[in-house]
Amino acid sequence: MTKETKLAACFESALFIPNLRATDRLQALEEMVECLYENGRVRDKGLVLEMLRRREILGSTGIGKGIAIPHGRTLAAPELSILFARSIEGIDFDALDNKPVHLFFIIVAPPHDRSNIYLPVLGKIVEKVKESRIRRKLMKSEDSDELRKVFLADA
Amino acid sequence: MLNVKKTLRLLVTLQDLDLMIRESHDPESKGEEEDLGFELKNVETLQTARGKLAEQIGLRWLNLYERVAKRYGRAVVPVEGRVCLGCFVTLPTSIVPKTLEDSEITICENCGRILYWL
Repeated sequence: MTKETKLAACFESALFIPNLRATDRLQALEEMVECLYENGRVRDKGLVLEMLRRREILGSTGIGKGIAIPHGRTLAAPELSILFARSIEGIDFDALDNKPVHLFFIIVAPPHDRSNIYLPVLGKIVEKVKESRIRRKLMKSEDSDELRKVFLADA
Repeated sequence: MLNVKKTLRLLVTLQDLDLMIRESHDPESKGEEEDLGFELKNVETLQTARGKLAEQIGLRWLNLYERVAKRYGRAVVPVEGRVCLGCFVTLPTSIVPKTLEDSEITICENCGRILYWL
């Protein structure tokens, strides 16, 4: 299995938010964590939100070009999960280039990360979204199937 | 006095924060994140937050946390099924909570780590 195939397999249909209702950074994190919680991917949404909020204090995960990848490890996440969310309007996320963020990938994993794929997954997503054609496709993706195809087709 | 569930949540928050701080100081972990384009510039702010968080935890549990963390790295570990994922020993049924809401602070009788029920 290639790295791209492994990454694509991590995207679940329920963990896809086509257009966030949130209008600011904290609301965006809350909405995405709520989705993880509703789908049974995290044990305690308060703990996950706290961890992600502190990660943003350490330094914004808005890496520029309309992308943010809030990520971290917590006991409240039994296994690695990736959630994709989009904001058509864009959200001020204190990104490195000070531009609004449209595309979000939340990655949460347990501290022990037995499969040891947390950092490779993070790295692969960063590598992919650096390409403008990938970002354009992500802005148009309608569901997780299309999301998977974006990551597979451009492998 | 804090109830057990709140104390356990504080301990997990503390451990998550400690992991973040530790990796922000570790040249290898820090380098990997920075190479990907992420900033890790406010470690001191997290250190301050850590101090405030620790003050909210009772001394008994905080001392236990610090002692076990010093020994094993991670003081709070998940339990899957009835197995402590710190030492992989099966726990006696007498300490297994009947429901998740029953969760209280329990210690692995074998390794002494604080248990977090998944």
